[in-house]
Parts: sequence; C-alpha cells; structure tokens
Amino acid sequence: MNAVATLMAFLTSAAAGGTAHSVVSLLVVTQLAAPLATLVAIGLPALLGRPLTERTTTRLVGGGFTTGFVAGLAMLAVLATRSFAPEVVHLGTWFGVGHHEATIDLVADGLSVPYVCFSTGLCALVNAFAGKYLHREPGFTRFFVLLALFGTGMNLMVLAGSIDVLFAGWEFVGISSTLLIGFFHERANAVKAALRAFVTYRICDVGLLTAGVLVHREVGSGDFQRLFTGTWPDATCLVPAATATAVSLLLVFAAMGKSAQVPFSNWLPRAMEGPTPSSAIFYGALSIHAGAYVLLRCEALLDAAPAARAVLVFVGVSTALHAAFVGRVQTDLKSLLAYASMTQAGIIFVEIGLGLRVVALVHIVSHAILRSLQILRSPSALHDRHELEAALGGHPGAGEWSLRQLLPRPLQRVLYQISLERGFEEMAVTRIVVGPLWRLLDRLAGMERRWVAWLAGEPPETLGGGPRR
Amino acid sequence: MTTFVTGTEVAILVALIVAAPLVAAVAVLAGLSRASPRTPAVAALGLAFLASNAIAWIMLTGGRSAWEFGDRLGGGAAVHIDGITAALLPCMTFIALAVALVAPRRFLDETATTRLLATAGGTFALFATAHPLLLVVLWILTAVPTWLATRDTPGGRPAARVFALALSSATACMLAGTVLMLLDPPWEPGCGWVGNTGGWLVALAVLVRDGIVPFHSWYPALFSGAPMSTAIVATVPQVGAYTAVRLLIGHADHGDGVALELVVLSQLALVTAVYGGALAVVQRDLRGLIGTLAFGQSALVLAGLAGKVPMELNGAFCVWISSGLTLAGVGLVAWALESRAGPLSLQTPQGRFRDSPTLAVLFLLFGLASIGLPGTLSFVADDLIVSGSLGDQLRSGGMVIAATVLSGIAIVRGWFMVFGGPAAVDGPRHRILPRERVALTGMLVPLFVLGLWPAPLVTALERAAEQLLGVTAEGDAAAHAGTPPEATIGGP
Repeated sequence: MNAVATLMAFLTSAAAGGTAHSVVSLLVVTQLAAPLATLVAIGLPALLGRPLTERTTTRLVGGGFTTGFVAGLAMLAVLATRSFAPEVVHLGTWFGVGHHEATIDLVADGLSVPYVCFSTGLCALVNAFAGKYLHREPGFTRFFVLLALFGTGMNLMVLAGSIDVLFAGWEFVGISSTLLIGFFHERANAVKAALRAFVTYRICDVGLLTAGVLVHREVGSGDFQRLFTGTWPDATCLVPAATATAVSLLLVFAAMGKSAQVPFSNWLPRAMEGPTPSSAIFYGALSIHAGAYVLLRCEALLDAAPAARAVLVFVGVSTALHAAFVGRVQTDLKSLLAYASMTQAGIIFVEIGLGLRVVALVHIVSHAILRSLQILRSPSALHDRHELEAALGGHPGAGEWSLRQLLPRPLQRVLYQISLERGFEEMAVTRIVVGPLWRLLDRLAGMERRWVAWLAGEPPETLGGGPRR
Repeated sequence: MTTFVTGTEVAILVALIVAAPLVAAVAVLAGLSRASPRTPAVAALGLAFLASNAIAWIMLTGGRSAWEFGDRLGGGAAVHIDGITAALLPCMTFIALAVALVAPRRFLDETATTRLLATAGGTFALFATAHPLLLVVLWILTAVPTWLATRDTPGGRPAARVFALALSSATACMLAGTVLMLLDPPWEPGCGWVGNTGGWLVALAVLVRDGIVPFHSWYPALFSGAPMSTAIVATVPQVGAYTAVRLLIGHADHGDGVALELVVLSQLALVTAVYGGALAVVQRDLRGLIGTLAFGQSALVLAGLAGKVPMELNGAFCVWISSGLTLAGVGLVAWALESRAGPLSLQTPQGRFRDSPTLAVLFLLFGLASIGLPGTLSFVADDLIVSGSLGDQLRSGGMVIAATVLSGIAIVRGWFMVFGGPAAVDGPRHRILPRERVALTGMLVPLFVLGLWPAPLVTALERAAEQLLGVTAEGDAAAHAGTPPEATIGGP
C-alpha cells in the first residue's frame, strides 16, 4: 500500500516537474517494482494451487527483467548527463519509533546503475535460456519464482542507500541461492550442498548484521550518506578510523561467505548441484560477486582502514592460489568452472584491497559475462567434446606442454595430492570447527533428553518424535 | 465513529471473546451440536476473532488508552483492555481459530474440541485481565485442560508428568508471590523484604511458565508428547510474559527504573534464545525442532520486556505477535504433515516435497518469517529489539543476532530434512485441504502485510509501551507524593 502510494507520488511529481531527480526516482522504483511484481504474479497463483503456464511464466519474468534493464539503461543515460553525481531516492519511512527510523533509501550512482543494468540484463538472458532448458521440469514454476526473488534481492542490494536495505537484498539473494542449489531436492547431494551453502551464508551474515548494528550505534542511522560522501569511486570516509576498520572487517567477513573465499569456499563447487541456468547466474555471475559489490559500495571505509585492506588482499591471494591449484585437478566441468570463478573472485578481492576500484568493477562485469556463458554452454560443450573425441579417436590436446612441467616431479606430485584434497581446507574446517561444535550440541541435546526422561520417570528412548498412534 | 463507543459495548465485546468458546465447549460436551465438533468450534473462535478485531479497531481509532471494569486489586482491574490487549487478542484468537481449522478430523472429537475451546477461552480471559488473583486462577484453569489432553494422548504420560511438575511449581510460586506482593506492594514506598520476595517469586513463576533456561525442558517435552493443538495453545500465547507485563513492569523502582527481576529475566531470556537456537540445530525429529524453537524464539519477548525505552518494549510486543503466528504456523504445517505421514525424523531426508508441495512452501514461508526474513513482521521486531538494546549493551544485540542465525540454520535444515530426499512412496499424494489452505495462508497474510506496512501496528504498540513505561514515571512521582499510581487508567 505504501509502495503504491509512493509510486503514484513519483508519477505525479515526474509528470508535473519533469526534473532529473524525479525521473531517476521513477526509474529506480521501476527497477525494484518490475521483478517484485513478477514474483507476486507467478508466486501467488502457485501458492493458491493455480500455477501459471510455462509460457506465461517465462514471459512475465522476462518482461519484468527486460523492463528493469530498459529502466537501468535510461537511468544510465540520465546520470551520464550529470557526470554520475549520486542521486539518493528516499522511498519513504518504513516505520519509525522515537528517534529510530527505518528509511528506505536507494542510491543511483556510477557504481549501482551500471551494475544493475548488467545484473537485470543477465537475468533476462538466463530467463530466456531457462524457459527452454527446464521445459516440463516438475519444479518449473519454483525455479522462476526463485529467479524473480533473486532479481528483486539483487536490485535491492545494488541500489541500496543504507545498510538496512542492503541487508534485505542480501538475504533474498542468500535464500534464493540456497533453494536453487537444493532445487533437485530428491538428490541427497543437492540437499547436503544447499545446507552447506546456507550455513556458510548464515555464519557470514553475522558480519553484515553486526556491521549494521555498529553503524547504527556510531552514526545513529544505517544511511551510507552518514558513512561516506562524494561521487563513486572518489567518495571519502566520514567516520573515525576505528569505526571504519571495525565495520570494514565485518563487511569483509560477510563478503567472504557469499563470494566463497578461503576458508568459506568449499560450498561453491557443491553448489553446482543446482540447475545449470541458476549455476550460471549465481556462481558464475552475480551471487559470487555480491560480496565484492558490497566492498566496492563501502570502498571509502576501506580507505580509512588499512588493516581491512591487508586482510582483503591476504584473503584474496589465498583464495586465488587455492582455487587455481584445486581447479586444475577437477574431473568434472562444473567443478572446474566453480574453481575458476573462485580464482577470479579472489583476484577481484585483491584488486579491491589494493584500491583499484574501477578495475575491480570492470573485472566483475567481464568475468561474470564470460563465466555465465561458459556455465550455460557446459552441458552442450561436453556433448560436443565427446563427439570430437569419438571422431578423433583420442583426447584432443592431450600431451601438450603446460607450465607445471617446469616444476620438479616430486613437487608436482605433492601439489597434485594437496589439490586433490582441496588444500585440506574442508577437512580442517570440519575437524577443527564444525565437528567439535556439532558433537558439543548433540551432547547437550542428549543431556536434555535424559533430563526430561528423568523428570518423567521414563527411559530416554521412549520420548520424542510425537504422540504414539 | 468510535467517539460513540461506550464502556458497555466494549464490555460486551470482551464478554463475547471469552464466552463464545466456553459456551461452544459446553455445547460440544453436552452433545447439543449435531454437526461435527469442528463447526461450533470454528464458529465460536471466529466470533471471538471478529470481536477482538473490533476491540483493536476501537483502541486504534479511539482516544482512550485503556478501559477498565470490575474490582481493582494491586493496581489491576478484573477486566483491563489497553493497547497490548488490543494488539495481542486478535493474534491469539486467530491462532486458536487456525488450530481448530487445521486439526485433523480424527483428532478433533468432542473431548479434544472441548479442551481446546476451554483452554482458548481461559487464555482470552487471561489476556483481558490485570487482576493479580484472577491471573493466578486463569493460570490454573488454562493449565488443566492442557495436562488432561497430554495425559490422555497415547505415549503422552511422560510429557504430562513433566508439564504437571513445571506448571504446579510455577503456579505455586505465582500464588505465593502474588499474595506477598499484595501484602507488601513493591511499587509503594517503604516496601520491605516481603514485597521483594513476592516480586522474585512471580519472576520465578514467569521463568518456568515461559520455558526460560534452566526451566525450559517442559517445552520440548510437551511438543513431543502432546497433540500439536495442545502444545500450541499452551505455549504460543506466552502467559508468563503477559503476567510479567501486568505484575512486574511499571511496578518497581529498582536501579535505573526497571525492576531487577525483569533485568534478570531478560538476561536469562537472551541466553535461552541462543541456547534454544543452538539446540534446534541438532534436533533429531520435527517435534523436537519445533519445541526447541518455541522456547528459544519466544524468549525474545521476555528479553525485550526489560527495556527502558519504548522501542525495546515495542520490539518485544512485535516479537510476541510474529513469533506466535510463525510458531503456530510451523506447528500446524507439521501437524498436517504428521497426519498424513506419521512422525517425521530429521536424521535423514524424508522426501515429503512431492507428496505435499504446498505444505512445503508454507513450512518454508513460516520458517523464514520466524527468523527475520526482510519483508516480514519478525524482521521489524528483530530490528526494534536490536536497535532498542543498542543504547545499553552491544552484547544483547549480538545475542539476538546469534539466536536468529542459529534458528535460521535449524529451520532450513529442518525443511530440507523433511521435504528433501528421494520421494517417499507410501500411498497416494496428499493434497492440502481447503480448510488447511485457508487457515495457513490466512496466517501468512498478517505476517507479510505487517512486515511490509508495519507503521500502524508499531505506532499503536509504541503508545502501549509508552503507557506502560509512563505508569512507572507517574507511579514514581505519585509514590514520592504518597498517592497511588493510577494516572493513565480510565473507567467506563
């Protein structure tokens, strides 16, 4: 209801005044409303037991993303005439209590507008691909509902003008990603992979949530305008170095999970359990770079936080090296591409850590386009490869010279073994953190059961599970 | 319009809310209804729901902050309707109505329906009073049908025993504490050890009744051994938290203006929220998951009640509504699933998605709505609680975040374990029934509508919170002047 009223107000003011701000505001609202409207349009009938046909579903979702893309291009044109000076769009106050106000602020600037054009455009293309790819798949509507949810979350995150709005978008991206990894839920591996990804996201969400809490505490609001000012990429930090460092480190922690950086990287290769179109858009293109985007958005804070920059470079280098080695020994194409994505995400972290803001943005866009194309092509590429091998009677390219031949053979063997074990990263995380924690909680739960059984005067095995029939 | 509403009309509405389920219970028990027991139950609870909404509308649009009828004792009237009651009653009546709609046919016989209606009527009456002794009586009256229903359930005797142990201790503490508080009111100057002991005994009773660590064990036991309807109606309304609102808030002048009992309750509640979330992650069956989530998430209500600023109280009230609706939603979906598939384990994927896709979606939506998904009421509630606690302690905010994160992991694990895995082939597909769809989808509506447009609710609850905290300030002033604290209360 609020959104409709806001939209009407914008339409009126844009028609009456025709100022650049009103036009940008209208376009920003369109960016958000288009995928959200498609989400409701296809999700609600499905919830009420009347799902739309495949054709209507793909057309609606495609229409939503295309509208967003066109709105993004128009916004780009308007901002270009104004040297990409940031336009803050205040959509209203969500709710307010005393001095605390949750405002819905969005920002259109040299970072968010190109990024949102690229993300909505890519979503529209993947939608077109998925319409054919998932034809007659039992979860057809589910896929497109989640794609629309992802698109809404992505636009919200990219256009966010405050850490609160950014968190909302971030959560939508995480939820849709998890559910798409587990899309083929009848496979045990898909379920495990989805859970692994969600747990990683959730742990790293602590970083973003705590950063939000800190920001509210320090500046009294979540607005980015109170944290930094100026035109991206030359914004300047407004908060003391200590605050900037703390918030930056928390943001780096949050970004490490979403962008699969060491030691939170082992969910990514498993995430390829999802359908190919979602793997392409999430782990080849947009979701994998969500962490990098957040860091670019708050880059001005990193200027005042050299320690966070150092951490960023260290994490990025470690991830890039880890993924480059491990990727080389993968035996399936999607895992290989997952590690390739991870390598590039690590390099992008290094670029951000070194303050190369524009380079990082260009790297994200170019890498996302290339990688999503590779992932979308991967099923048919394998087919083509098999045909080629059958025609040639062997492996084309086998026996060619490669860089690793410069290394001594014993070192090659050691590196091969380490890479095959994925750098022992997963083993270390499982043995040192997850395993002991799980055992501790399981033991506590066992003690609880025994305590209840003692209170009830019954053996523990007779309790639990629900009433007997 | 509401200018013309009189006290009599409000009294009639309150009487309707309380009497409708009780009359229906008598009718069902006496066999006066020829229809299925569900019909009078739904009719009575539907009537109570409409009447509670009428009260909410009157409070929202009218100028009065409270309506009171009957005797006052210890500052509380026999019938007391204020902003909190107006916000909570529609939620509680709606949950009871949804329970009556979703309950499986083979469960809802005359006895079960009578017990459900009696507990619901008692709970509605409890939420409409601030009279200390009436509170004690209603504690007992609402606990008895729960105990009977659990005891008579196959395999439910151990849970009934644990419930009886917890509730009898809590009620004894509550009774003793209330009497001591009435003998030596802690909100009056010169209060001695008698009144203070009374306050601590009431706090102890609240701890047990709301399942706060270390008295939380009866929650999972009840969810494991009792019918889901019984467990939901006994735990979701949070009778203990309501008692704390009426007897502990605004009636003390310890330390920095908040009762020390409440501060202790709040700190233990924070620990409970984190502990409940952590335990929920490793649960082995669906009932256990819901039981641990229930005590973990509802603890956040008590955590916010010790707030010194209205925002924190406001957050607690929002959590009260959102956790009530979401936990009831998750519980009812689980019950609908169990009625088709039997008890559900979380140790291996159960493959229930293909069997009940709509229930899977509803479980997920309720689950996500319970862990602060943006766009839902729980996101607003968590934001208010965290922001409210920031002024004092970053630690409290951190614990709320930890609890939310752990609960989120538990919910999503539970969802994948119940619905993921190879499709279970044990009979024909079970489509969701129309009554289940109406009740469960209906419960989602307020969660999302109030999440997207929370301003009216938050504003109304802010007024109620200010009124509660205002009683303290005025009570203090009155206490120093030697007059009783009853500044904001209006009579009929």
